[in-house]
Amino acid sequence: MWDLPHVPLGLKREWLGLETRRHFLGQGVKALGWAGLATLLGRSAPNLLANSPIPGAPAMVPHFAPKAKRAIYLFMAGSPSQFETWDHKPALADLFDQDLPESVRGGQTLTGMTASQTRFPIAPSLYKFARHGKAGRFVSELFPYTARVSDELCVIKSLHTDAINHEPAILQLTTGNMFPGRPSIGSWLSYGLGAMNEELPTFVVMTSKMPHRTNVQALSNRLWSSGFLSPEHAAVALRSGSDPVLYLNNPKGVESDVRRAMIDGVNDLNRQLFERVGDPEINARISQYEMAFRMQTSVPELADFSNEPQSTWDLYGPRAKEPGTFAYNCLMARRLAERGVRFTQIFLRSWDQHSRLPTNIKLMAEDSDQPTYALVTDLKRRGLLDDTVVIWGGEFGRTVYSQGTLTPENYGRDHHPRCFSMWMAGGGVKPGISYGETDDFSYNIVKDPMHIRDLHATILHLFGLDHSKLSFKFQGLDQKLTGVLPSKVVHDLLA
Amino acid sequence: MISWPNFRRAVPALAVLAAVVAARAEDTFYAQRVAPILEQKCVACHGEKKQKGKLRLDSFAHLMRGGEGGGVVQSGDAKDSELFIRVTLHPADEDFMPADSKPPLTPDEVKVLELWIAAGASATAPLSSIKGAPALAAPKAPVAALAPDWQPRSAQIARLEEELGVRLVARSHLPTDGLVLRTAGAPTRCDDAALAKLAPVADLIVEAELARTKITDAGLVWLATFSNLRALDLTRTRVTSAGLGSLASLGKLESLNLTSTGVDDAGVARLKDLPALRKTWVFDTRVTGVTADPAASAK
Repeated sequence: MWDLPHVPLGLKREWLGLETRRHFLGQGVKALGWAGLATLLGRSAPNLLANSPIPGAPAMVPHFAPKAKRAIYLFMAGSPSQFETWDHKPALADLFDQDLPESVRGGQTLTGMTASQTRFPIAPSLYKFARHGKAGRFVSELFPYTARVSDELCVIKSLHTDAINHEPAILQLTTGNMFPGRPSIGSWLSYGLGAMNEELPTFVVMTSKMPHRTNVQALSNRLWSSGFLSPEHAAVALRSGSDPVLYLNNPKGVESDVRRAMIDGVNDLNRQLFERVGDPEINARISQYEMAFRMQTSVPELADFSNEPQSTWDLYGPRAKEPGTFAYNCLMARRLAERGVRFTQIFLRSWDQHSRLPTNIKLMAEDSDQPTYALVTDLKRRGLLDDTVVIWGGEFGRTVYSQGTLTPENYGRDHHPRCFSMWMAGGGVKPGISYGETDDFSYNIVKDPMHIRDLHATILHLFGLDHSKLSFKFQGLDQKLTGVLPSKVVHDLLA
Repeated sequence: MISWPNFRRAVPALAVLAAVVAARAEDTFYAQRVAPILEQKCVACHGEKKQKGKLRLDSFAHLMRGGEGGGVVQSGDAKDSELFIRVTLHPADEDFMPADSKPPLTPDEVKVLELWIAAGASATAPLSSIKGAPALAAPKAPVAALAPDWQPRSAQIARLEEELGVRLVARSHLPTDGLVLRTAGAPTRCDDAALAKLAPVADLIVEAELARTKITDAGLVWLATFSNLRALDLTRTRVTSAGLGSLASLGKLESLNLTSTGVDDAGVARLKDLPALRKTWVFDTRVTGVTADPAASAK
C-alpha cells in the first residue's frame, strides 16, 4: 500500500487505521460482539458505557445532565415571511411602496427572481399584531391560537443562514451543511444518545397535506438521512393513512413465529459474515431487521387513535382525525413523545409565497395555527413540555420589498437569508422571551445574530450534548453537526 | 520625622525592600496566576505522570527546560513562545492545546500567560508587578452529587436490567448525576414486583419513568426507598390517591406526573407536605379545579 503512487500520505494512514480496526473487530468479536451489538440496538446500560470497546462508538450518555429528552420540530418548509409572523415592524406601514434604501440592501446579490426588478418597493404586513400573554409579546392576527401560548415561546428574530435557495437552505437547517450526505439533527441525537424506546424508531419524520399548493418545494430523504453515520440512525418516515410503515405486516399466511424464525436465520447468517469481515454495516442491517419486527406490534398501537379522549379532539380540532393533515401529525407527535421517541420532525410545505402572499399565508396559518397551539398545550398539560423542546420555523426569511406588483392588498416576498425568525418552546428553553433584533426593514440583524450552527449547538446543548464533542470520523475529519466553523451555544435562550 | 529630601533618598531603598519581600514564592505572579492555569489545564499530560512531547509544566524549572522541540517560553515575546502559540491556535488545529478536546484555556487565562511572558517570564516577579491581568475567576462550587456513584455497582445494575426488562441509564458522564429508571421500551414488564427488586440500586435512581407501567398503589410502597428521586412519572398507571401516602418520605422529589391516573383531590392533599415538590401534573384525573385547556378559559 505504501508504494501506491499519487495517494496522499494521510489517506494511506487512514487506510492503515481502518485495517487495524477491522482486524481488531474481527478478532475480538467473541468478546466484544454482545456489547457492540447491544449498543447498535439502542441499549445504553451504564455498564456498557464505561469501557466502550469499539473505537469511535458513541458514548450513548449525555456529556452533562440534559434538560430535553425529546424534540418535536415543526418544519415550515418554503419559509414563512417573518413580517407577517414573528418580526413585528409597525413603522413600515408609513413606508408603503417607498423604495428600499440601497444602503440597507448593501449591494447584496438577489435571487434571479427579483434581481431584474427595477424597483424594490417596501411591502408592510397586511396583518395586524396585538400584545398577548403576561410577557405582552406582539403576535400576528394570523395566529390567534398560538397567541394563547405566547408565554411559552422563545422567539428568535436574528437567525441567519448561508443559502438563498430552498434546497441548500433546508439541508443546512436539517443537517448543518448545504451539501447532501450529512446526518440530520435527529440522526446525530440517535447516534449520540441512543433510543429511549427500542420498540420504535428514535427519529421519525412526517410530511403533511397542504391546504393549498403553490411553489411547493420537493422534500427528500436527504433531509432525514443518517449520512455517514450507521443507517439505523436515519429517520423512519411515517406515511399518512392506515399503514404508516409500508411492508410491515406479515404476508397472508405467514404467522409471527414463522417470521421470527426467518429473521433469526437471516441474522445468524449476518452475524457469521460480521465475524469474518467485521463490517459495522452488517450490524446495522441486523438491527434494522429487529426494528422492523418490533414495529409490527408497536406501530399499530401507536397509530390507533381510538383511545384518545374527546378533550384531544376538542384541542387539536376535527382535522386531527384525518390522517396526513398537519393536525393529525401534531397529535401523532405527542403520541410519539409519550412513547419515548427522541426526535420527531413534521414538515409542512407551501410557505414559499413569492406572490399572493396575503391570501396564501392565511391559508397556511389557518391550517397549522390550532394544531401548533394544541401540541404545545397538550404537552404542557401532560407534563411533557418540561423535557420536550418544540421548534417552529422555515429555512430562511423573506424580503421586505415586494416581489412583483405591490398593491395595498397583494404582494409577494422573495427569499432572504440575512435574517429570519423561529421559535422554540419547552425542553429547557427560556419561555416568554424574544432574542435578537433586526433593523427597521428586517433586512439586517442589529443585535445578537444567531447562525444556524448556533441553533444546532443550542439544541444539542438542551440534550446534554457538547456540539464540539459529538463527532464521527469520516473523510479524515472529526465530522460534527456544527461543522468546522465557529459556533456557540446561545446561553441567553436557556431557562 | 523624615524630611522631604531624606524621604526622596529613601524611596529606592523601599522599592528594593518591597521586591525582596514579594519574592517569596507564594506571592509571585508565577505562583499565584500562571502555575494554577498550567496545573489545571496542562499538567495532566505534561507533568510527573505523563510527559507528552517530553514536556513538563509542573514547575518553573521544567517549564523553562522545554520539551523535545526545544524551549516553549521566549522571555519577553509571547507571540514567539510555543506555550502561547499552542493555546491560541484555532481549536480545530491539530496542534491546538490542550489536545483531544480537553477544556481550552479561557480568554482570561490566555491573557495571563501573554502578560507574564511579555513581562519577562520571571519566577520571582511579584504578583503586583504585572498590571492589567484579568481578575481571578471565582472558584466554581463543586457540583453537588445527586446520588452515590453508580460505577461500583455496575454489575448489579446490568443484572437487574437483564432480569427485570427495565433500563437503568446514566443521566450524564458524571457518575454522581444518578440513573434514570426507563421503561418506555417495555412498560408492561415493569410491575410492583420489579420495583421491589430494584431496592439494591434504589438510592441511585434520580428519575423514574414509570408511565404506562403496571405499577399500582401497592408498588408505590417500594418507591419510599428511592431516597434520591427527583422526578417521578406515573402517567397512565392504576395509581390512586390511596397510594400517594407512600411517597411521603421522598424529601427530594421535585416533579410528579399523575396524568391519567385514578388520583383525586384527596391524593393531591397528601402531597402538600413533600418539601421539594414544585411541579405536579393531574390532567385527565378526577382532581378538580384544573385548567387543563387554556383555550377553554380564553374563549
